[in-house]
Amino acid sequence: MSMRTTLALATLRRHPARTVLAVLGIAVAAALLLDMVMLATGMRESFRSLLLTRGYQLRVSPKGTLPFDSEATIDGATAIVEALRANPDIKAVSPSLGTTLALPSQAFPSVFTLGLEADVQGDYVLEAGRDMPGPRNGAAAAIPLPAVVNRMFLVRSGRKLGDTLTVAAGIDAQLRTTARSRVVVLAGEGRFFYVPAETPVMALPLQEVRTLLGAEYRDRISLAMAESRKGDSVSVEAVRSWIAASQPRVTAISTETAIRQVEERLSYFRQLAFVLGAISLGIGFLLVATLVTLSVNERRGEIAVLRAIGTQKGGVLRQVFLEGFLLSSAGIAGGLLLGLVTARWLNGILRDFPGLPAAFDFFLWSPEAAWQSLALLLISGTLAGLLPAWRAASIPIVRSLREDAVG
Amino acid sequence: MGDAEVHAVRGIDLDIARGEFAAITGPSGCGKSTLLHLLGAIDAPSSGRVFVNGRDTAQLGDAEATAFRLRHIGFVFQRFYLMPTLSAQENVELPLAEAGLGKAARRARASELLGYVGLGDRRGHRPTQLSGGEQQRVAIARALANEPALLLADEPTGELDATTGEKLLALFGQLNRDGTTLVFVTHDSVVANSARRVIRLLDGRVASDTPRVNG
Amino acid sequence: MESIPVRLIRMAAVVVALAAAPLSAPLAAQGDTALSPTYGRTPPAYRGIAIDARMAEDFGLRPGSLARLSGKPGETGDTVRIAAVFERKADPAEVARREYRIRTHLDHLQGLLGLDDRVDRFAVGVPDGVPVDSAVARINHVAFGFRAHKSADVAVQSSRTFRVVERFHRAIGLITVVASAVFLLCLLLLSVEERRRDIAALRLMGIAQGTIIRSIVIEAAVVSVIGSVIGAGIGWVSSLIVNAHFQQVYRTPLLFALLTPEIFAFATLTSLVLGIGAGAAAAWRLVRTPPLTLLGR
Repeated sequence: MSMRTTLALATLRRHPARTVLAVLGIAVAAALLLDMVMLATGMRESFRSLLLTRGYQLRVSPKGTLPFDSEATIDGATAIVEALRANPDIKAVSPSLGTTLALPSQAFPSVFTLGLEADVQGDYVLEAGRDMPGPRNGAAAAIPLPAVVNRMFLVRSGRKLGDTLTVAAGIDAQLRTTARSRVVVLAGEGRFFYVPAETPVMALPLQEVRTLLGAEYRDRISLAMAESRKGDSVSVEAVRSWIAASQPRVTAISTETAIRQVEERLSYFRQLAFVLGAISLGIGFLLVATLVTLSVNERRGEIAVLRAIGTQKGGVLRQVFLEGFLLSSAGIAGGLLLGLVTARWLNGILRDFPGLPAAFDFFLWSPEAAWQSLALLLISGTLAGLLPAWRAASIPIVRSLREDAVG
Repeated sequence: MGDAEVHAVRGIDLDIARGEFAAITGPSGCGKSTLLHLLGAIDAPSSGRVFVNGRDTAQLGDAEATAFRLRHIGFVFQRFYLMPTLSAQENVELPLAEAGLGKAARRARASELLGYVGLGDRRGHRPTQLSGGEQQRVAIARALANEPALLLADEPTGELDATTGEKLLALFGQLNRDGTTLVFVTHDSVVANSARRVIRLLDGRVASDTPRVNG
Repeated sequence: MESIPVRLIRMAAVVVALAAAPLSAPLAAQGDTALSPTYGRTPPAYRGIAIDARMAEDFGLRPGSLARLSGKPGETGDTVRIAAVFERKADPAEVARREYRIRTHLDHLQGLLGLDDRVDRFAVGVPDGVPVDSAVARINHVAFGFRAHKSADVAVQSSRTFRVVERFHRAIGLITVVASAVFLLCLLLLSVEERRRDIAALRLMGIAQGTIIRSIVIEAAVVSVIGSVIGAGIGWVSSLIVNAHFQQVYRTPLLFALLTPEIFAFATLTSLVLGIGAGAAAAWRLVRTPPLTLLGR
């Protein structure tokens, strides 16, 4: 260890209570900064990974609407889906129809239902049991009809996999009758990416849902997800443009556009993150600057002696600078750990937002976020020692020797 | 001092030869410490020249003066001015580290110097664990670290009792016999008489300059 | 706050397509000269709608302006007159959603959407003196397939977004208070320790430990209070800036930051307690140290 580091560490150890408090203060500031950086970047990245979970980069929704933003549906869906699938630049298309089906005689009266094609669906991953049948392997003949539900459905209904129940549509509230019903078996449990965790959800074959909803829905979907064969942004945008041009009754948005729109809705948190991040940087800066300044003031005599025995101004400057650097480093190390803990806590609070997809996080850990906040605070803390370091180096030797008593 | 201009020393014309052992004495405020600071390139004269080892230190810039002090001047202060957070060994190593000496070499040299001043077994002690006399010896060892041409001491026995002070003066004598050029400042004429030359200042001027035969 | 890809399907969500270029000339301007082909004829009675202030500003609409309203994209729809412009209530749950809102007569909207005789819900007013719970029970008993809910219960559900934001703000506030407390403690400790020699000199003069501690504590208390007042001033100015900024960004009268007497009292009390505590602790440590040690002897 160099003499400079030895002296710097010894100086910090000289007043342990003071040093510990300062390190604690910097740690809290570092934790807050890390959290704000994670918040600023986490929402976007979490949403991006959510949208790209199954590889679908494009969403096709009724004209003028956003995916599942309204009850609007796309008519003539079969022709549109076939046209999309015929495009050699499109690898896969997953149509879906969202609706609410009644659950007669169950613990809760209705369930949000997704009509999907099992072989291309990108809405859930099967975690237990078996999947529902695909469109080409005789779904209509299966009685009871296999359904995939989420954990919340099982918990709230008190059911388990293998149980059967009846789902219905076309409810007449006054006569308490339904137009069409079907017996389904809870075949599998899935983790649904885009549905809030607290919402019970059921997935059924698309054609079956259409049949339940009646003739009006025979050729309708709520949304189609499309995957471009080439994943680069230029190719995806080219496919999006082609869809927009060839299918005037729909709106196609890419992942980036969707992210931008979500960011706009959640922009309050990004701005809050920026403001709080700046404040925590300021706190860390002030703390280090104050501590180093007071430390230098206390040691004027010592510093004058260092100069008297032959230490250059630059050497004194580096010495004091090093103290600020060591202080900041110790605080940052603790702050990173503390930041992860508080991020988990804050994420838990914000995850309570109603209607939030189960897989969405506000605070997302990434090495980039850590490095960013670490670098910011380290630079800030080290710079904070700059002015007191310069003042220390400029201490008049004779006057200081005369004024200060050092034992 | 403050806003008032004070001529601490005026019209001083001195020659101190290599190997000399000189004491600068005089009443309080006569300019002793100022003269020492001028000799040690800590301060610069408003007019005149100061030659040390053939170099006019009055013309040196801050960085050059600092470098000069590091290599050619050793300072011992009345209040020792040791780094309280470092051990005796580390205090002596300070100027060696500044001079760029490697760790092993500095350690060896510091041990040698502490042994020379009789503190070989106290290397790891902090200043607060040493007596006044011991602290002053560490300060002397530090001052000798880079083999300076000139050792300057400002009231070196000021904080010490009479017995300890005598021992310290004996060490100074030994240093001088071993070849170190020594100049120290004291207000005590008895202490001054331990040197071989006594320069007496009065109101910033040399009042008398007397070689001592039995110094 | 709702995510884009998925939203729970609401009953009777309104899909409104508004023509991009509203018909600009107010009807009164037509047929106002003898040469106009419509001179003397009664202008057609367009249905009136009310639009929100944001929409009026963005599209340059005002009462009397004409626009086209349809239930589905691509449909011709009806020509309507802007009868009123309303200010939307400051709802935190909707502040970030940059939507436009319009109000129409019920039968008009039913006609546009082809909903026949359908509504989302009824709002029921209960006469004074009638307990709401008994009205709810009676409705639920007699009506087939309907459920009545108290407005207060509905408000609890719909304010969930706001409550989450509130909890988040409290959590951030707690972290900030902790950071500020540590900062304050550190500074006060430093400022007291910086005066170790003064304290040593006082002790050597014969001043009692208690007197020294008291004077330092009083000083720390005064510094804390003055600092709090200045901090409150800075906080108040900051809240003005924050509110101005977010009100402009989200085009809402909502207040995002508010400095209340309770908050000021909390901040002042906290810093006072911390200041006195830190001052007392540091002073206690110093008066217990021998004066000569403080002087470095």
